[in-house]
Amino acid sequence: MSSEPTGTNIEGEAPDSEPVVETDEATITDDAELERTLGLAGGLAIGIGTMIGAGIFVFPGLAGAEVGTAATVSFGIGGVIALLVALPTSELATAMPKSGGGYYFISRGLGTLAGTIIGLSLWIGLVFATAFYLVGLGFYALDALALLGITVGVSPGAVVSAIAVVAGIGFTVLNVTGTENAATLQNGIVALLLSMLVAFLAFGMADAVGLVDAGTPPGEAQNVWAIGPIMSVAALVFTSYLGFAQVATVAGEMKSPGRNLPLAMIGSVLIVMMLYVLTIFVATSVFTQDALAAAGETAMVEIGRALLGTPGALVIVIGGLLATMSSANASILSTSRAIYGVSKDALLPGWASRINLKYGTPHVALGLAGGPVIVLAATRQVQLLAEVASFLHLIMYGLICVALIAIRRDEPAWYDPDFVVPGGPAIPAAGALASFGLIAFMNPLSIGVGIAVSAATAGWYFYYARDIGLKGAL
Amino acid sequence: MSRVLVPIEVLEGKTVPPGLMSLLGTMDVTVLGYHVLPEQTPPDQARHQYEERATAALEDLTEEFADAGGAADHRLVFTHDREQTVRRVAAETDAAAFAIAGMTGDVDDLLVSLSGDVDLDRITEFVIDLVDDRDIAVTLLLAGESDEASSDRLATAAIRLREAGIETDTSTATGSPFDALLDAVPGHDAIVIGEAAPSLRSLVFGDEAKRVAAASVGPVLVVRRDEASEATEP
Repeated sequence: MSSEPTGTNIEGEAPDSEPVVETDEATITDDAELERTLGLAGGLAIGIGTMIGAGIFVFPGLAGAEVGTAATVSFGIGGVIALLVALPTSELATAMPKSGGGYYFISRGLGTLAGTIIGLSLWIGLVFATAFYLVGLGFYALDALALLGITVGVSPGAVVSAIAVVAGIGFTVLNVTGTENAATLQNGIVALLLSMLVAFLAFGMADAVGLVDAGTPPGEAQNVWAIGPIMSVAALVFTSYLGFAQVATVAGEMKSPGRNLPLAMIGSVLIVMMLYVLTIFVATSVFTQDALAAAGETAMVEIGRALLGTPGALVIVIGGLLATMSSANASILSTSRAIYGVSKDALLPGWASRINLKYGTPHVALGLAGGPVIVLAATRQVQLLAEVASFLHLIMYGLICVALIAIRRDEPAWYDPDFVVPGGPAIPAAGALASFGLIAFMNPLSIGVGIAVSAATAGWYFYYARDIGLKGAL
Repeated sequence: MSRVLVPIEVLEGKTVPPGLMSLLGTMDVTVLGYHVLPEQTPPDQARHQYEERATAALEDLTEEFADAGGAADHRLVFTHDREQTVRRVAAETDAAAFAIAGMTGDVDDLLVSLSGDVDLDRITEFVIDLVDDRDIAVTLLLAGESDEASSDRLATAAIRLREAGIETDTSTATGSPFDALLDAVPGHDAIVIGEAAPSLRSLVFGDEAKRVAAASVGPVLVVRRDEASEATEP
């Protein structure tokens, strides 16, 4: 097995690889050094910032309407699956701290075909996820307008689409032209969100267990404690956990990757899992299923209103706007990193990762991220967007676990992770089974779209890149 | 010989003025070519596109520094954070000082600020190495509270420079060290300051550096603190 990628694509481009030395502070190539500038806080902010928008601000209404308080279990199951995948991902990321994340591990562990399918599916999966966040943003913006006393005319749905599309265009343009340091802003938003949520949840919990009485309507949600519906909701809300692996897409820029990557990935999953379970508990204690179903995507606003009056609603609307924005923005950034990872290995044309001379930003990759997002956001299909995103990510997560087992068995000379998942193959095997298993509980239409996307990416491999060999390369 | 790090934004068409090159002729020089990227851009991606052009520019610069006197080499870094990169490479190359390039002709008069909590020994040593046997006059500037201890420090430093055969003036000022430095700039071609003097810390990076550069036009050499002894000091 060689340790260099081999072959060329249909246009004669070869994967770009150079021997590098990784230190805690920089990646050193023959002629240049690449500074590692992201700390643990930055990594956590990417993980939490990507995840938190969906789970708390979009899903409580949808999930609570299905199964009531049993949705806490659904969120718990989602979190456990995310952890089962986050552990193997951490091991692989500390052994290969490079841009590209999940794509990189799978192409090296399982070969070019699996790599191409995952690399391109990751791109499209992130596009679906971003569109989903933007639609959530649209719903929150609509509520914000309502709070301000502005009522929109006949078709609020069209307004949501319009806001989602405008926001999608806005984020893409900002990312292409903006050179200000948005990372600091992102960290600030995540910190603000976390403190708002903790305060809100503390009050909500006190109300739910009867310590204080905010005069919320009586009648808890009707609970459906049955494995089928709970798993089906878990499959839907798993979108809330797409984000921890995005930390791996910036692995090449993380300081002390051996320490910070596992901490950021596992830490962000644990933190958001706790918040999700608490939020759902509060939401389903305050409202009945019917009320949650009626309030839909922005049920959290009604819950805020029930608990704390108009100020409560205001806090949730602002939180929801911030959270969906941070999720959408972080996802667009990850998408462009994912495209770069694939294009570097010549699985996409080299021009896909060109950098704009004026702004120094990867405008082609950002456009390939933002363009399809805008189209999908206009559809306003929250559930479909979320599930297709989950489907494509779950395939990747399952294969990451398989890749870990394969790489451990093949033992390339360079494989020397700083973080090792304990328990031999048990955790990665469980992670793979759980990831693939969750797919079975999805809506058939979502599965169909997901399979079609995967098949198209496989077709691309046979057309464009079948001569490229990446397995076992570094 | 001591080493000086010369960070330069290599792809922005920035160059090193000839005056700074000849001033540093008595020193070993590491040219640190850096390119700051927005966070949307992975450094590796920028490397693919820019590495060749940057390396070519750096090789030319390094050659010019070598022609001016000392040994010279270069490093190329793609980064999101200029300050972190300068500090890391300065520590790795064990540089005595790093330079903020500014326009200057030949340097005849050097302004050395001793204000604040700076490492006096390192600064005087560095100045002695830098001037060597050249005909460069030095003004030592001490601003802030004047008391016996600080004027002693100033006198001691002046004596050591004169013993090394350097024409040395001293000057004191009250008030803010930063303003005093700016007031003293006219008539000097380059400035030497110490790193981590509390009121001057932000001068190295940030807006005040621009103010000094704008006021002085000339280059600024920042003498690094001794990191090994830092840990033992209170």
